[in-house]
Amino acid sequence: MTVRQVLADCGATDTLAVQISGPSGICLAEAEFDRKIAFEDLPTAGAFMIFDETRDMFEVARNFAHFFAHESCGFCTPCRVGTTLVRNIMDKIAKNHGSPYDINELFKLHRLMQGASHCGLGNSACNPMFDTLNKFRPAYERRLMSLNYEPAFDLDAALSQARQMTGRDDAAAHFDEHPENEAEA
Amino acid sequence: MNATTTFHLDGEEIPFTPGQTIIQAAKAAGAYIPHLCWHPDFQANGSCKLCTVKVNGRFGSSCTMEAQAGMVVENRTAELDDKRRTLLQMFFVEGNHFCPSCEKSGDCALQATAYELKMMSPHFDMFYPDRAVDASHPDILLDFNRCIMCSLCVSASRDVDGKNVFYMGGRGILGRRVHINSESGMLGDTDFAATDRAASICPVGVILKKRKGFAVPIGERTYDLAPISAPDKETTP
Repeated sequence: MTVRQVLADCGATDTLAVQISGPSGICLAEAEFDRKIAFEDLPTAGAFMIFDETRDMFEVARNFAHFFAHESCGFCTPCRVGTTLVRNIMDKIAKNHGSPYDINELFKLHRLMQGASHCGLGNSACNPMFDTLNKFRPAYERRLMSLNYEPAFDLDAALSQARQMTGRDDAAAHFDEHPENEAEA
Repeated sequence: MNATTTFHLDGEEIPFTPGQTIIQAAKAAGAYIPHLCWHPDFQANGSCKLCTVKVNGRFGSSCTMEAQAGMVVENRTAELDDKRRTLLQMFFVEGNHFCPSCEKSGDCALQATAYELKMMSPHFDMFYPDRAVDASHPDILLDFNRCIMCSLCVSASRDVDGKNVFYMGGRGILGRRVHINSESGMLGDTDFAATDRAASICPVGVILKKRKGFAVPIGERTYDLAPISAPDKETTP
């Protein structure tokens, strides 16, 4: 039984992605729909999630990241802290403050958590990020502040308290982070 | 040496007796595997994951994995030390660790291990958790800001002191912490004593003896004299 057959049998149209076996399972894009549901190919614990073209796979992965941060029991370091770091990075990207640096951090945390975590939850907690980054990367990249390096520390946001105290909000009270963008605008 | 009772640790032949874990055999042979939650006097906890090694190409915790004849164990490789550095950074950002103002500085296993692995910065954004201190006991101060959840105090109080003063409870990044086994949840309402084994087991600066903080001046402390990787250097007395 292929994924495509299941989709046809349940009347799914305009399918963007299929998540097999829950959040820690595998995320498939259209090109892989001819793979078979079988222990040797796509083992499944019974879960089969279908996402159509209207869905945003970044938001799907971010939801899974929040799920794992909430579910981590906290026993071992890589999972207890790692799931929270991954959730924070996904939230940062969602707020359009991310950069390619943050995507590299997701891959780095995936490599650490996959080998070092105590149980399967931590070992597989980065799977939704890993799969969607490999198969739906534009969903991430269109949210990035810049495709180049961006510091984790937001200088302009750090000035907000000083602005509030002095009652100023003029241009000189803001840190100009992207003079080149403003020149274009 | 009989080949059936040794394994290879970074190319070095390490003897072991059946039932010994990798880290126990390595320590007996004078080889250092970085660790925080493991202590030779207690049963392994396996939570800090700093002692993660590669056994025949697969990751495993050397504090819980039994040594087997002929196994090939990677320990101080660039790949593993890089992972350990990230784990250390995770400890530094999830708690409130301010070494310059901490009276355990120089005697702290977390600080000494970070020096050993050449951790230069916390790297990630700090979490700045809100953790209350417990000063209710006349002789002991508990500063949970520095807790690394190794649960050595739980083991020491239960297995050596026979008091069960501490237990691990709660879930996840915000919930998991050391609890005090008294109705009020305060250390002052337990029979904990400064002479207990648990009072001197903490590898970081959570369990502190009052009025003793600077009895040994900074510069002459455990890890000021020799790095944590030096043979016979154990985290706590």
